[in-house]
Amino acid sequence: MTFARVLATEFLKLRRSKVTWVTLAALSLGPLAIALMMWIVREPGRAAQLGLLGTKANLSGLTATWPAYFSMLTMMVGIGGMLLMSFIVAYVFGREYVEGTAKNLLALPVGRHWFVLAKLVVAAVWWALLVVAVLVESFALGATLGLPGFSTTLAVTAVHDALLAAAIAYLLVPIVAWIAMLGRGYLPPLGFALAMLALGDVFSKTGWAAWFPWSIVPLYIGAIGQPVTTIASGSIVVLALTFVAGIAATIAQLRWADNAQ
Amino acid sequence: MSADSAIATHALTKRYRNVLAVDALDLDVRRGEIYGFLGRNGAGKTTTIRMLLGLIRPGGGEVEVLGSRVQPGATGPFARVGCLVETATAYPNLTVRENLDIQRRLTRAPRAAVAEVIELMRLGGLAERPARVLSLGNKQRLSLARALLHRPELLILDEPANALDPAGIVEIRELLQALVSEHGVTVFMSSHILTEIAHLVDRIGIMHEGRLIEELDRDQLRAKERLYVDVGVSEPARAVALLAAAGFAHVEHADGRLRVYDALERVPEVARALVGAGLDITELTQAHEDLEAHFLRLTGGAP
Repeated sequence: MTFARVLATEFLKLRRSKVTWVTLAALSLGPLAIALMMWIVREPGRAAQLGLLGTKANLSGLTATWPAYFSMLTMMVGIGGMLLMSFIVAYVFGREYVEGTAKNLLALPVGRHWFVLAKLVVAAVWWALLVVAVLVESFALGATLGLPGFSTTLAVTAVHDALLAAAIAYLLVPIVAWIAMLGRGYLPPLGFALAMLALGDVFSKTGWAAWFPWSIVPLYIGAIGQPVTTIASGSIVVLALTFVAGIAATIAQLRWADNAQ
Repeated sequence: MSADSAIATHALTKRYRNVLAVDALDLDVRRGEIYGFLGRNGAGKTTTIRMLLGLIRPGGGEVEVLGSRVQPGATGPFARVGCLVETATAYPNLTVRENLDIQRRLTRAPRAAVAEVIELMRLGGLAERPARVLSLGNKQRLSLARALLHRPELLILDEPANALDPAGIVEIRELLQALVSEHGVTVFMSSHILTEIAHLVDRIGIMHEGRLIEELDRDQLRAKERLYVDVGVSEPARAVALLAAAGFAHVEHADGRLRVYDALERVPEVARALVGAGLDITELTQAHEDLEAHFLRLTGGAP
């Protein structure tokens, strides 16, 4: 039951943490922005009062429909999620160094791998709750706007795509956790995540998108060309290897590297 | 490494690139004693403590704590060890009680242990306050409470009196003495201030540039408290030469004053040698060298 005890303490550490609310606020802004664009596209006359924003929205060729709305939502969860997930993991892992508490944890009669696994579970639960909250918010906003083209099949597909994009984004974070441990703070993992997103964009233009972990989400959600209906088996292997290698590296870092703060 | 040892190291070494932080350290801390680990900043105390706790990997040598070999990443003997490493830290968003509850869960201590240690460390009025609002001294109390919570057999404390006010220091001293005398706890504590721990410890080990340069028990510590003749005199540099010529082998000059050792029986001779050469004596008293001076002398500091 060691894991259960460690997991309970990891959840306790989030109590009164402002960062949880910051991530909720950050992700909630996405559907609001998308809904605003839908409204501008549907009401160009009234939106004209907004000036350039209305012009840009019209130029983008958007249509104010549920399919377009869901497509943008999936992109937001996928791309924004990769960044936000990295932020969450940077906080969960990096705070032990920033707040100086790592040295207290590591001299306890608890295997260090349990801390890594518990923190990853906390990040997963946190991320899952955020995604669910954003999906609920999105449905409420879409319904309020009265967008046309809704169907149950479309909604199920949209939820499936968003959850899958969120899940893929999660598979990338153990490496970010390792960087947080290696860099002992928040900035190195966030810098790494941004660099990987940029590299993912580069790889997407070279035809290697299916093989580079940070290009797979954009490929899947249609940020690179048309959305793919299934993830290639090679991509699944790459994601699985990235996930496992990240966990192994993080545990090794905590177990064998010097932990001088 | 004897069965009587709470901490034993053999040829323990740690190098950071070009800096030899700990150099072939042999330590033997006996069960039930208070061992003061003394050294100036950068002497290698904290690096040693981190190796004792498995936080950093030794470059060479061995560490044994409570009979178990310490290896980085292994849980080893840590269920029986309480520690405070360098600065006091806590989760700032959690209350004092919640911070201690985390320690309780991870050490499998009973629920009542949190309330007990809050009372012991006089944190009752602060128990529901977030750690971020605590003063440095109270953060130190919280860290000590965390170290004591699971009733460890061995306490490894790095500068435990940091940030505590004088009353707090006395309180901690009494607490540690009580833990040793009533519960047989072994205490290994570091400090860079000898006088702070001299009256508490059973033995001290003095670290300097990564090496243990002296170990003293309580009797030897007392014997180090030397007497000397303190002289205020005009032209102190010339006075040193005059006293040397008069046969005073151990004369030191610092801050315009002289310390003449081994001269308590020859005070009139000191006065005659100086006045006879035309120097003015402004003060001439018998003085007592404290342990701090001995420590500073050993480690290359003033006086």
